[in-house]
Amino acid sequence: MFAKEMLKQSLPLLIFCGIGGIIAGRTLGGMIYLLNDIPGLIVVIPAIIALRGNISTTFGSRLGSAYHLGLIDSKNMWNDELKQNIIGSLILSFLISSIVGILAYITTILFFDLNPNPIKIIIIVIFAGILSSLILTALTIFIIYMVFKRGYDPDNITGPALATFGDIITMFCIFGSAVIIEVLL
Amino acid sequence: MIYNWKKIVRYGLPLLTLCVLIEIFAGSILQGNQNVIFKLPILLISFPVINSVGGNIGSILGARLASGLHVGNIRLDIKDKKMHENFITSRLLGLITYAFLAILIYYLASFSNISMDIGLMEFIFILLAVGLILICIVSVVSIITAFLSFRRGLDPDDFVAPIVTTISDTVGIILLFFIVGVVII
Repeated sequence: MFAKEMLKQSLPLLIFCGIGGIIAGRTLGGMIYLLNDIPGLIVVIPAIIALRGNISTTFGSRLGSAYHLGLIDSKNMWNDELKQNIIGSLILSFLISSIVGILAYITTILFFDLNPNPIKIIIIVIFAGILSSLILTALTIFIIYMVFKRGYDPDNITGPALATFGDIITMFCIFGSAVIIEVLL
Repeated sequence: MIYNWKKIVRYGLPLLTLCVLIEIFAGSILQGNQNVIFKLPILLISFPVINSVGGNIGSILGARLASGLHVGNIRLDIKDKKMHENFITSRLLGLITYAFLAILIYYLASFSNISMDIGLMEFIFILLAVGLILICIVSVVSIITAFLSFRRGLDPDDFVAPIVTTISDTVGIILLFFIVGVVII
């Protein structure tokens, strides 16, 4: 009965996340020629997906805790607690994206016989990081607002929802920024 | 006000930098296997799915163990019966999810004209093999992280998810190329 309950509660969620993964993967599959044209781009993909997942799920879970502590609710959303959280996660995104870009550049030069354009790869990562950060922060606030309004516990919903949408949105952002930067530079 | 952006950045930066370093290693494995990816683009669709499901199963197991440890119905003992039950259910969850998603990925890829040099059975076998080994490794990591952080008086909820998802990403990518190498060659 114990296993049955775990299966019943987790299986739909896992399938849902898996389908999110398929959409993200299909987007990545569509980038295959871009990955060939921009050496070093494939190196950043796992890092930038993980970075987004980590920053937005901790953002979501902090807002969940703030809700349980009574610091924030649907009538009192746009307060200083929320603003500090937004600024914090945007700055973290910028810093970590820069680190990812630089690390990817160094790795590609050191371990593969490739010569990526350092400015190109770093700008693609930072641009994708900030773009996805803005979209996901807005999405998190929207999800949290809806959850508050209906009186659900944010802890049960924001984590998986953000992980799934995060993968897809981040992949679109990398794709978009790679195309834009490739055309511009 | 309990949140401050400086604190959020200061606490987030070290763990995220570590995660990103490991993820860059995962990305380098992708770069190193670029030839395999170009021959079998279906792998590009598969790896976000493998990682997302593996990371989620590990995180669910970790969260359950953390709650069990907090409440006290799971003991700090390797032979604990509740823990074994959780372990077996995780593998069962993985088996069902990966089999279902493998079929979904395969038909999506064949409908969207992605070149396929691999049979459905072969592909299901690859995903199940990768998935089951990955879940065993991720479960062990999740159990060790939950127990160690709990024993040191730290909250397992803060550590299990980021550590488990990062390790699951890297191990998932290594296993995927290893199993593909064994099956195809």
